Amino acid sequence: MNAKSMATILAVTYGFIGILPLFLGGSSIMMRILTMILIWSVVASCWDLIMGYAGIFSFGQVAFYVIGAYSSAILSVSLNVPPIIAIFMAGGITAIIGVIIGLPCLKLAGPYIALVTFAFQLALEPFLKGPMGKAIGSGGSRGIISVPPINLFGMSLSSSELIPFFYFTLVLTLICSAVIVLILKSHWGTAFLALKDSEDFAASLGVSAFKYKLLVFGITSFITGLFGALYVHYVGILSTRMLSMEVFTVLLIMIVVGGIGQYPGVVLGAVFTVTVNELLRPMGIYRLLIMGGLVVVVVLLLPDGVTGLIKKFTDYRQAKKESRVSIEKHESSV
Amino acid sequence: MFIEIIEIIISGLLNGSVYALMAIGLALVYGVTKAFNFAYGSFYTMGGYFAWILLVSLGVKGGYYVVFLTAIPFLFVVGYFLEKILISPLRKRDDWQMKAMMLTLGLSLFLDIGYIAAFGPNLKSLPDIVEGTLALGPFVFMKQDIVIFILSITGLLCFAWLLNNTRVGMAVQAVAQNPVGAQIVGIPKERVFAATFAISTILVGVGGILLSQKNFVNPQASTGIMIKAWVITAFGGMGSIKGSLYAALIIGMLEAFVGYYLGMIHIEIAVLTLLLITLAFRPQGLMGRE
Repeated sequence: MNAKSMATILAVTYGFIGILPLFLGGSSIMMRILTMILIWSVVASCWDLIMGYAGIFSFGQVAFYVIGAYSSAILSVSLNVPPIIAIFMAGGITAIIGVIIGLPCLKLAGPYIALVTFAFQLALEPFLKGPMGKAIGSGGSRGIISVPPINLFGMSLSSSELIPFFYFTLVLTLICSAVIVLILKSHWGTAFLALKDSEDFAASLGVSAFKYKLLVFGITSFITGLFGALYVHYVGILSTRMLSMEVFTVLLIMIVVGGIGQYPGVVLGAVFTVTVNELLRPMGIYRLLIMGGLVVVVVLLLPDGVTGLIKKFTDYRQAKKESRVSIEKHESSV
Repeated sequence: MFIEIIEIIISGLLNGSVYALMAIGLALVYGVTKAFNFAYGSFYTMGGYFAWILLVSLGVKGGYYVVFLTAIPFLFVVGYFLEKILISPLRKRDDWQMKAMMLTLGLSLFLDIGYIAAFGPNLKSLPDIVEGTLALGPFVFMKQDIVIFILSITGLLCFAWLLNNTRVGMAVQAVAQNPVGAQIVGIPKERVFAATFAISTILVGVGGILLSQKNFVNPQASTGIMIKAWVITAFGGMGSIKGSLYAALIIGMLEAFVGYYLGMIHIEIAVLTLLLITLAFRPQGLMGRE
């Protein structure tokens, strides 16, 4: 997909989401869903960039999201940093941790990276709940209860002021999406493509896999941490429940439905998943049962997600058109 | 002090032996099929629930003999058909490894939530396989622990015999060494893949039956068990069965000591630290090949 059509699809999707609040008249449930769609679509896009394009089997995306959330909450609660500065500092902290995790990880073979990053997520919970976490102000198993909202130009973007917060998130979403498209279409994106096709050949041409992978790991960690921080100032409370398998699976469904390495399909996946997740909420425990089953069914039946389906459809129409043209040509020549 | 240390070593040995049983299953699947099974821990819980249904819910006569006699064929069938239906269609694609990881992750959530939906969120306790204690000088052993240790070691030996001395085992080894070559000499590769998956399901399910007597049947234990088996496999060297055996014992000991001296909450952090340090110096694990 070229940069122009990527940008068009993103602009149409986010533009549509952006004008929806005008018609919804501030219905708090709908605004909450829309805001969550924006936040998750960026987090899932980062994961797609790492896994689908850079080819790093990182399963630590939720962990980075939570690290961003905790850093920003601790900065603003314990150290009284203004939230608007804290969210960017949280992004920076997450990027540093991402690079520290990435340094040993990226030298490993694919499946090992998945293991280490996933184990990292699992070890994060006892860390935050235990005495070490309490020492840095994580609040132990109780979590952090009163995270202050972001203040922007004297306006408080708390969960009671949904529309300003939504547009603030939208602006950040657009900036981050632009960064992702730029990365994909710069020589970095080309380098990833080359590395994916043949790592040895790309290396022989002087493409450094390690350098590019570490850079992209750092940048996506920054963005993920930033949005985790954004989320925590929006909801105001934080606990280690964010690290549950549920959150992980929801994020996984977005990328599975959207198609891995099919950016911006994952944005459509986020729209779909967040909506379905909210619609299924009254079903209690069966919601997760359905979500888990959904992953299995989608991976089996639609390996490339929605994007694969659309591509198949357009290819089919293209082929039909071409065959009709060739038949007409044949008939006219006869 | 001295007695304490001996007791910790014994508990580490006990856990390590069951972990070895489970980790070897995962090492086998990875070595042969190159597929990552994220739902591995869910089969551990499945074994626990299977025993609970038979022993507590239905109250069958014959106790654990009946459980093992029925659980092994049951787990084999489950594993065999899951591989045939879910994993094998993915193999046609280039990026099937990633797809298989995602699918099994979804499957694990589905199974774990399914257990909660079917049996409720409470822990279920299994009866002890043997009751009573055995005193040897200053040490007091639970007979149950001794039986668990003997059973898991027997399981390991059976598995090693199966792999080295039977036609099925040799076919499995041939496919692990060279899938194309194995196919040329007429080994049904697809069936070997499914059989390997099934054998690993048996190993982890039996591990579940053994350990659930001590740790209860817990629908939320799956992820922890999966990651433990996986850490052991990576630590020992992916696909190396001997490596997994040593790694399981080391991790079992580490857990027992860290749990006793620093508290249970630090176990996962300690295990991850050990893994990271090992992988930083030996990316292929203890006994893995480059």
